[in-house]
Amino acid sequence: MAARAETPVPGWQRGRVASWFVTTDHKRIGILYVSTSLVFFALGGLMALAMRTQLAQANAGVLSPQHYNELVTIHGTTMIFLVLVPILAGFANFLVPLMIGARDVAFPRLNALSYWLYLLGGLVLMLSFFAKGGAAQAGWTSYPPLSEQTPGHGQDLWILSLHILTASSVAGAINFIVTIHNLRAPGMTWTRMPLFVWSIEVFAWMLLAVLPTLSAGLTLLLLDRGISIGGWHIQTHFFNAAKGGAPLLWQHAFWFFGHPEVYIMVLPAFGIISEVLPVFARKPIFGYKAVAFSTVGIGFISMLVWAHHMFTVGFPNALNSFFMITSMAVAVPTGVKVFNWLATLWRGNLHFDTPMLYALGFLSVFVVGGLTGIYLAAFPVDWQVHDSYFVVAHFHYTLFGGVVFAIFAGLFYWWPKMFGRLLDERLGKWQFWILFVSFNVTFFPQHLLGLEGMPRRVYTYSHESWEGYNMTSTIGSYVMGIALLLFLWNVVRTTRRGPRVGNDPWQADTLEWYTTSPPPPHNFDSVPYVTSARPLHDLRQRLREANGTRRIS
Amino acid sequence: MASSVRAKLLLAATTLALLLVPAAYGGNGGFVPVTPESPNAHDIRASYFFITFFTLGVFVLVETLLVVFIFRFRRRRRPRFQDGPTLHGATRLELLWTALPVAILFLIATFIFIELPGISHVPSAGATGRAYQIKVTGRQFYWQFEYPNGVISIDSMRAPAEVPVKLTVVSPDTDVIHSWWIPALGGKIDAIPGIVNTTWFEAKPGFYSGQCAELCGLEHARMLASVEVMPKSEFTAWLSQRRAQQSAGTSDLGDEEWGGVCAKCHGLAGEGGIAVRIAGSAILSDPRALAKIVRNGTSTPRGTMPAVGSGWTDDQVSALTTYLKEHPPSGS
Repeated sequence: MAARAETPVPGWQRGRVASWFVTTDHKRIGILYVSTSLVFFALGGLMALAMRTQLAQANAGVLSPQHYNELVTIHGTTMIFLVLVPILAGFANFLVPLMIGARDVAFPRLNALSYWLYLLGGLVLMLSFFAKGGAAQAGWTSYPPLSEQTPGHGQDLWILSLHILTASSVAGAINFIVTIHNLRAPGMTWTRMPLFVWSIEVFAWMLLAVLPTLSAGLTLLLLDRGISIGGWHIQTHFFNAAKGGAPLLWQHAFWFFGHPEVYIMVLPAFGIISEVLPVFARKPIFGYKAVAFSTVGIGFISMLVWAHHMFTVGFPNALNSFFMITSMAVAVPTGVKVFNWLATLWRGNLHFDTPMLYALGFLSVFVVGGLTGIYLAAFPVDWQVHDSYFVVAHFHYTLFGGVVFAIFAGLFYWWPKMFGRLLDERLGKWQFWILFVSFNVTFFPQHLLGLEGMPRRVYTYSHESWEGYNMTSTIGSYVMGIALLLFLWNVVRTTRRGPRVGNDPWQADTLEWYTTSPPPPHNFDSVPYVTSARPLHDLRQRLREANGTRRIS
Repeated sequence: MASSVRAKLLLAATTLALLLVPAAYGGNGGFVPVTPESPNAHDIRASYFFITFFTLGVFVLVETLLVVFIFRFRRRRRPRFQDGPTLHGATRLELLWTALPVAILFLIATFIFIELPGISHVPSAGATGRAYQIKVTGRQFYWQFEYPNGVISIDSMRAPAEVPVKLTVVSPDTDVIHSWWIPALGGKIDAIPGIVNTTWFEAKPGFYSGQCAELCGLEHARMLASVEVMPKSEFTAWLSQRRAQQSAGTSDLGDEEWGGVCAKCHGLAGEGGIAVRIAGSAILSDPRALAKIVRNGTSTPRGTMPAVGSGWTDDQVSALTTYLKEHPPSGS
């Protein structure tokens, strides 16, 4: 590998703060993504706690209806667009070039643009609380006509924010695809690529496929709300039934993006789990190809299921049946993954460090979220549970119990690679157990509330029989808050005092552990020729054979 | 090591128990949809049970394997980085756990298709051959019911027992999307501007309640609905009596309009809520001004009032003006 001549960096860009503003290093951008999304995670979490406080008792007056609707909208939008997708993009930024043995992503400047657009989009959304009329109030799905009739500028800023975030994600997706297709290390064929990289490949293609539909829908919504440019007023009626428009058009555009978006968040989480489980079970992943191809399968099928969010709009049953069958079909590749993960544990040498605890916690709760999805796919049953707290419980089991648990597995696993220091294991384990218990206490009762008839997105309720579950859920959510504070404390404490570790503290399989922790700006001095999906495992074995010793590690 | 694993299993079991306590505390527990009182709700619940049979099975299988593997293959005294056996996969197993979910989902889909006609088709009533029809209009933030003879009621519907009742569910072009949902009487159906949807129920006498299930604005949570199913003769008597009263201006409609349409924002005593205080306002005692503001809404610096009564008949408007003349809101 020929050394490239480095252009000298101007002095003002070398400062401790300034260097982060001008960086095009994928690792630093990855860390910026992860840390920014953790800040938004805290903000979104506080919004959730405010809502849970309001719902703890019947007819409470902690929040006004308008404040509640603003929070319910911005909490959802924040968690999806500012937390889960970008934190996974952050992991991808940091890891993909390292995992495939590249020096950086294909377009480092475009990568920086992606991050700064993301931050801008996030700020626009957060600051929209201060807009005239408050923040958007029509839910994260922003169905017209409601979203067109809301006065004030909150909804317009919501549209602006999503437009910016969409641009950011498209740029990021192109970058990942070009990087993965072109910059893999010698010998790294498609079936020797780490499973996390597979998941990012599918994640990126899906973003490219569905984000344009969201952008189109957002533009129509903006034009329907009316815009004035230099004396020209534009006012369309795409979703306005009074003028011949169709409110359902938005729902199609939104969910054609919105359902794949779920898998855009879940697939990289699956990828993290597929990296963590083998390392802590001391075995290769069971059924590599099945896991990789099921990722592609889920990505493809997920684009054919969108109308299962629309079973109650009055479609003919033939159409409902089509979407029921496609939605159920997603369960098949998902099941393949779950069983392959279980088989990876079989006959392993399991050790329960924090990343592994989170990965196992993910397995145990994600299954619940997956299984409740079958009720929602069966459309007559969906007619009963749609838009109720059952759905709220379902998607928190997949997105919190699934994705957030996987993110914590990833944070504890790759933290030493990012910063050269381990997070505290004792605090980490406490955090896991508290979070595991409180998560279930918070969200399990919500299934039951939904079955008893409590709709989602209500700022209050008058049934006193719903109070027990709601109070339980609220108490659980406070304890979740404590568990997340423990993580913050862990980060603060180990930044200075965490034990420093070498290149490969977990004796892992993939290339990112070949370089130093943290890696140098150019990542690798040299990259070994890749002969399997576990290059580092192969390397250790070759070393052992060369040394002629039977010593382990 | 073993003891710490046991402690953790105990913790997991305790969590499960903690989850069940509030469940047992709440009536039917919420583990199944509310007790169905209409054939379609009944068939939906049957589908729910059928699916639960399989999901519980898969849940128990996966969680058991997980716990057993965690316990059985934990490290114990083995060296930390000692590798397990290099097992790359097994094609037969892959085929098995691809085929098994396919088979289960096939069974579930088949069951749904068998139940579907009973859920979505309105049965024809024996003698008359036609279902009783009621028009349901969802509006911010009230439900308006229109009976075949022109009787109108707000938020509380009355319906004949043991006859299929077919509901036409709509929302005015200028309104937003709502969703009609009485859990005991079947699934929900959206009220969407520009679209006419239908659903139905057939129930024994009783009182059933529900609420709007699609976020429709500030008072979405207060958009409640109830259905009182009465013996057929009683219903017929009520309907003709109400028809006469409505023409005479003595029905409960004005009361229902005040409580369902005005009070959700302005307070039951007109004391103000998410909207301004209206008790003592001159408009309330001026029928023409009141009719104008209810039909057209208004926009003032103090806020915007939507046209909650756009499209109301003269009967409807006068019911409200008469009611307010007789019962001026006290303000507290």
